[in-house]
Amino acid sequence: MSNRIFKAALGGVTVLFSGLLIWAILSLILMPEVSEFVESTLSEEMLYSIRLSLFTSLISVALVMVLAVSIGFVLARFTFPGHNLLRTIVDLPMAFPELVLGLCLLLLFGHAPFGKWLQSMGVNVVFSKYSIVVAQVFTAAPYAIRVVYGTFRGISPRYEMVARSLGCGLLGSFLRVSVPMAKGGLFAAAVIAFARCMGCFGTVLILAGGTRMYTETLPITLYLNISYGNLAMAMSSGIILIFISLGAIIVFEVLNQEVVL
Amino acid sequence: MDLLSVRNLSVDLGNFSLKDISFGVPEGSYCCLLGASGAGKSVLLETIIGAFRPKQGKVYLRGTDVTAWPPERRRLGIVYQDYMLFPHLDVRGNIAFGLKGQGLTTDKIDPRVMKISRQLDIEDLLERDIATLSGGEQQRVALARALVTEPEILLLDEAFSALDVNTRERLRTMMARVVREIGITVLHVTHDREDVWALATHVAVINDGEMLQHGTPEDLFRRPRPGHVASIMGAGNIISGEVVSETGADLGIVLANGIRLYSSENLTMGSDVTLSIRPEDILVARDESVISARNRIPVTLSEIKRRGPLTWLTGRSGDLELIAMVTSSGYESLETSPGDMCFFIFKASSLCLIEENFQKIVLASNFS
Repeated sequence: MSNRIFKAALGGVTVLFSGLLIWAILSLILMPEVSEFVESTLSEEMLYSIRLSLFTSLISVALVMVLAVSIGFVLARFTFPGHNLLRTIVDLPMAFPELVLGLCLLLLFGHAPFGKWLQSMGVNVVFSKYSIVVAQVFTAAPYAIRVVYGTFRGISPRYEMVARSLGCGLLGSFLRVSVPMAKGGLFAAAVIAFARCMGCFGTVLILAGGTRMYTETLPITLYLNISYGNLAMAMSSGIILIFISLGAIIVFEVLNQEVVL
Repeated sequence: MDLLSVRNLSVDLGNFSLKDISFGVPEGSYCCLLGASGAGKSVLLETIIGAFRPKQGKVYLRGTDVTAWPPERRRLGIVYQDYMLFPHLDVRGNIAFGLKGQGLTTDKIDPRVMKISRQLDIEDLLERDIATLSGGEQQRVALARALVTEPEILLLDEAFSALDVNTRERLRTMMARVVREIGITVLHVTHDREDVWALATHVAVINDGEMLQHGTPEDLFRRPRPGHVASIMGAGNIISGEVVSETGADLGIVLANGIRLYSSENLTMGSDVTLSIRPEDILVARDESVISARNRIPVTLSEIKRRGPLTWLTGRSGDLELIAMVTSSGYESLETSPGDMCFFIFKASSLCLIEENFQKIVLASNFS
């Protein structure tokens, strides 16, 4: 096959797939009337759903980043027995269907001794608003850990060794050198985690239940309204989610130049 | 007492290990740790600074065992080949980094930053972003950052290797001046023996994780151990023979192919010896009578390599092969080409003893 035909074949596949993807997105965005979209977006249910999604996602992102920075730094900087096993374990939820992850969490926080102990302490996670945060954290953390791990791996540990030779302890070199140098990657991780939290559906559905105006996040709004046949509400929540994801991807692409995944 | 002392140090990193390394760095000295890439120089340096925990052996600073100390307690400054300047700080921020960590206030930090910046001629760069600096400027900032905290020892890891030849030479000159002014002890890892000639008061040669030889540059220059040390020190010609006779002040040495040479070294009659002749100590002439040096070997030129102002001539006499280095203009005046006969001539004092084997003498005396 000549070089030209090979290049044309590759280009054809790329254009075909991206064209179909853009067409699918546009068919959702262009489907509802503007007045329908505005009316649905300003409805009490949608505003509740947006507020709950933003509130829980922001809390989840904060928790995810604590986990991601800690685990990402440990994986990037320290060697210990079980290092590869730990990497596989934290990556596992990415390979799971969200429904399976939700089921695992439902059992952990419901029937397992850990869940019963929490309940005895007065913390009932399952089918509450807490469970939205739990579901979002477990769904988004592996993505953030992967980005943070890649970021720290891309920074030579010799920077920290120089800082320590200048008198910094491990914590000092982490705070004064590693974190400032990784700030682009950390912000990118937070953005991708936020997008994952906002779009988290299956895990939230199983662990929190899809209760209208209680545990109703944006993806749950889409699911409930399409079940009832309220297409305008479903499409409006879908469009809002697309714009949030698009914004997150643009920010991520700008910031992750130095991340080695 | 040595300021830094390493005793029987072994480090196992899985695919590479340091084996039973021992050496010392006297206070006020400039010690070069010389070795090829992958010899283990940087691992040794990073073990000294505390990045790696040794499998066995100790690191002592002023006689105190610091092997288990974290890097921040050891007070050793380090400068890497690729500078490792913090990109989120400007030049001033980088230099002041260690002083800020000590909790000093700006009025105490600024004069010290200015003083070291003047010494390294970078006071005009203080407000500059790191990304805008040249390689040589970055290296001086890295040196300033390490020196401003007044470390016990400055560790340099191939510190000049990434620079072009002219900048490297300027930095060597500046380094020699700054070391003299500050009076700091330096341990400098390098693969470039020019660093040794320009700066070192002591030198240690390492290869494949093992310390092969250490001493003054003159020791290793004149008497390198055969093999890797001789090669890395550029000893050039290593020959072996037997000490057979005494002629005036000089001893006669007979090589395996019957060639007789004379050395002014203090040798023992009857011993087997290994000696070196540096290529630059050999004079090349078409006529042996023009030079009065005692050692004159007729050779056939087998190879001629011109390298700018210098030319390397390989001469053979039987199975003996010697390399001589002459200036290119000197070579042109010789009017020789490969296959021609000429004489390699050198003084008895140019033949330096590397190794003397007394086994033969001991055996002989046992029999008698």
